[in-house]
Amino acid sequence: MNLFQVLNGVTFAALLFIVASGFTLIFGLLRIVNLAHGALYLLGGYFGYSIASWSGSFAIGIAGAMAGIAIFGLLLEGGLLRFVRGHELRQVLLTVGVAFVINDMALVVWGGDSFTVPIPDFLMGAVQIGPVFYPKYRVFVFGAGVLVFVLLWLLMNKTRLGVMIRAGVDDAEMVEACGINIRKIYLWTFLLGAALAGLGGVIGGAFLSLYPSADAEILVFSLAVVIIGGRGSLPGAAIGALLVGLLNSIGQVMFPELAYFVIFGPMAALLAFRPLGLFGKTA
Amino acid sequence: MLEVRDLHSYYGDAHVLHGTSLEVSPGEIVALLGRNGMGKTTLIRSIMGLTPPTVRSGEVKWKGETITGLKPHEIASKKIAIVPQGRRLFSSLTVTEHLTMLKSPRVKEGWTIERVFDAFKRLGERRNHRGNQLSGGERGMLAVARALMQDPELILMDEPSEGLAPVMVQRLEEVIIDLGKTGLGILLVEQNLYSALDAASRVYIMETGKVVHSGTTAALKADMSTVERWLGVHGG
Ligand SMILES: Nc1ncnc2c1ncn2[C@@H]1O[C@H](COP(=O)(O)OP(=O)(O)OP(=O)(O)O)[C@@H](O)[C@H]1O
Ligand SMILES: [Mg+2]
Repeated sequence: MNLFQVLNGVTFAALLFIVASGFTLIFGLLRIVNLAHGALYLLGGYFGYSIASWSGSFAIGIAGAMAGIAIFGLLLEGGLLRFVRGHELRQVLLTVGVAFVINDMALVVWGGDSFTVPIPDFLMGAVQIGPVFYPKYRVFVFGAGVLVFVLLWLLMNKTRLGVMIRAGVDDAEMVEACGINIRKIYLWTFLLGAALAGLGGVIGGAFLSLYPSADAEILVFSLAVVIIGGRGSLPGAAIGALLVGLLNSIGQVMFPELAYFVIFGPMAALLAFRPLGLFGKTA
Repeated sequence: MLEVRDLHSYYGDAHVLHGTSLEVSPGEIVALLGRNGMGKTTLIRSIMGLTPPTVRSGEVKWKGETITGLKPHEIASKKIAIVPQGRRLFSSLTVTEHLTMLKSPRVKEGWTIERVFDAFKRLGERRNHRGNQLSGGERGMLAVARALMQDPELILMDEPSEGLAPVMVQRLEEVIIDLGKTGLGILLVEQNLYSALDAASRVYIMETGKVVHSGTTAALKADMSTVERWLGVHGG
């Protein structure tokens, strides 16, 4: 492992955090394992690709994808998921079904080719970090991950909405009995989680590229991050993302045939000792 | 003010409340007594709209309006608050967050965070502790304070003194009596007969989902055979 590969692991971790933070929020509060989260990521990437190509602006691509996926999330939660609330198996099956539908629709609209979201000129090229020249865009991805972490931390700890979300992760029924309409909190959380998947899609789509099965890959990584970090925990998602990102680099470099095992082996070992993940709490 | 009429509640097919009726007037402290598993918590949850249980017949009226079938948050917004059995604090929220979540610190009407910390000095000292870092007594106080932040006209308290040391039971009893004097209605579920009798003016006793005795506290104190029959350890 050299510095370049470590940096790759860390920047991949930043992307994973962006995607998995939304996943863990939804999982923690709504108790939904949203298996359409990867599809929202991919759709966000395609939205971002089309909007950025059409407008010539990466920033507009990001904003458009986040808004589009947020609206999509709103329809998914308010229009479908709320009818199966409390039925875990039905929720899982419903989100899998939605993932398939999104995938097929994307295939119809964008075809099977792979795309890369166009990035602005100032993010092209490399910067020198110690002894290595490292792509500027990947440094930007790292910054974006840190920014998302800080903003989410502020939201969860300094705003009343965030405090309500945390309270809901602890005990949603009690939040409702205190006079708060938990349905609204669910909607906002789902919307936020979906927007983060969309953001991840654009950011990831500019260096991992977008193709029809990219959603399943990111979903598997996100699941590992959330399981390691613990349901509903932001610090857990950050540490889980770093672990998975670095293990992924190690796996690719040192044991290319066993790349998945290098991630899921340690995950299984960790779960044997901490079944709820590093920061997990009992319901 | 609160009227419960002939309520039948079920957990699935298990019929738990068999036509329960009771009333609480404004500013009145009413005790609801009964041995383990007689349906006290089921009644409190049914009033608050919490499911399970499901209410299959009967009604709950609040200020003349039927509230059966409303969602818990709708019932809470009509100024009915709950101190649930087991307290159910939010383990990742600080004391302050438990209170500010329910009312912005900028609102200066009714119960404010300053007023709560003034009434419960200990909570003020512990304001940055999380729900799961508090002692039993502090947890009991915080559960009451959380209900107060909703500026309720009625609080449903389900065994608020459960698991507390005798001095804390005493302290909580004083708090409840003081709150009663401010015109707040309280429906107080208790297993501890004596702490209930000190605070309440009227008493209901439940036995397997039915009210089997109702009357004033004074009358019950003079009638130990009723106490023995429905609450005594040897049973009826
Ligand atoms: N979630 C549930 N599902 C099925 N049955 C339940 C449930 N909760 C309570 N019961 C049953 O309903 C009956 C009444 O229970 P409830 O909790 O209302 O009693 P309680 O008077 O509050 O008792 P305690 O003093 O122990 O709190 C009991 O027989 C209990 O086993
Ligand atoms: Mg009970």
